[in-house]
Amino acid sequence: MNKKTILAALLLLLPAFAAADSQWVLDQSTLTYRVSHPLHQTEGVSHAARGKGVCHAGQCDFLIAVPVKSFDSGDSNRDIHMLQATRGAEFPMVTVRTRIPESERTSATILVDIEVEFAGQAAHYKQVPLQLVTQGNQTRISGTIPATLADFKIDPPSLLAIPVKNDVPIRLEMTWHPL
Amino acid sequence: MKAIRLKIIAVFLCLTVGSAVSLAQAGNSQQAGAPQDQTTTTPSPDKGSQDKTSPEQLPNAPSSNAPPPSLKDLGFPPEATQSNAKEQALLDKRIHMLKIHQRMGLITTVPMLAAIFSSAGATGKGKDTTGRDLHLALGAVAGDLYFITAYYAIRAPKPPGIETRGPIRFHKAMAWIHGPGMILTPILGALAYDQKNNGEKVHGIASAHVPVAIVTAGAFGAALLSVSIKFYED
Repeated sequence: MNKKTILAALLLLLPAFAAADSQWVLDQSTLTYRVSHPLHQTEGVSHAARGKGVCHAGQCDFLIAVPVKSFDSGDSNRDIHMLQATRGAEFPMVTVRTRIPESERTSATILVDIEVEFAGQAAHYKQVPLQLVTQGNQTRISGTIPATLADFKIDPPSLLAIPVKNDVPIRLEMTWHPL
Repeated sequence: MKAIRLKIIAVFLCLTVGSAVSLAQAGNSQQAGAPQDQTTTTPSPDKGSQDKTSPEQLPNAPSSNAPPPSLKDLGFPPEATQSNAKEQALLDKRIHMLKIHQRMGLITTVPMLAAIFSSAGATGKGKDTTGRDLHLALGAVAGDLYFITAYYAIRAPKPPGIETRGPIRFHKAMAWIHGPGMILTPILGALAYDQKNNGEKVHGIASAHVPVAIVTAGAFGAALLSVSIKFYED
């Protein structure tokens, strides 16, 4: 009788084992921030992000990190100013965390909650739409985080006494593959 | 037999209910169209590491035994992730000095433009030297402010390993023109001033005062505009 019980329990536990842990790795990425000023529209781009996703029990935790220094706007003076304004030497990394249900992998668009840690502050963005395109074993994820300078308590840098706009949207374009 | 059946049912219920709760939590994150809610937290007191968010703080966080990925898992070199207070202080000093440089540069344009416009009144041949004196005074003020402006750019500390790129290269190149120009212009102006006051026609090297001043002012203006207005698209 005990054997039957164990067998039944094992059969019922099988789905739990089937949803075993899996991992994802960030292949390529382009992260772009956009700053607006009456005299300039500036974009800073970084391809230096690294990321990892860990899936367990139907949920995938993703972490993407990028050095603040790696953003290039094409103007070294502006990049140094950005580094100073965002306290990039004190807080050298930008981290983005999110949790995506594993079942959503095949969806074209998903809404996720995102936590961004930057300049010593953490900001939460709810229901951010991300586009997913799966080709082979690679999944391309793109979307825009509607970040603002105020979210991270960054004083807006100014040029000719005119400060930049508060909105600094961050565009994410990433390609992931499973390990 | 009854007890065994009960055990099996209990195990089945536990697993079914557990899975259902987990799926329900996953489903809660999919409320499309909900308003954006952004919050900020206090700055991290732990300067050495930014990787401090617990799984409970994460959005949509259900209970999970698997540890979420950490910054260490990503393989960044330690120096890339460590806080550097010394470098931050250097950056703060640099930006503070460059802000003064920018402000002083803008202020310098006022007496510089005034000196250019007053030059028309400095060429008179009569004994009245008011026009010349005014031009000299404005030029002197512009020169003093110019060198204060230059001081803050030259003395601003630069972080190591930064390659100069973008419009700032043009801005710096122009300094090789307007810098010597701002030394030469007052010297030539002083010679021309003396010649005029002696009733002579400006001659010799002093006659270069006007063209040197024009080139100097032009280079100064171009340097100012190069970092203010975008001339080209990347």
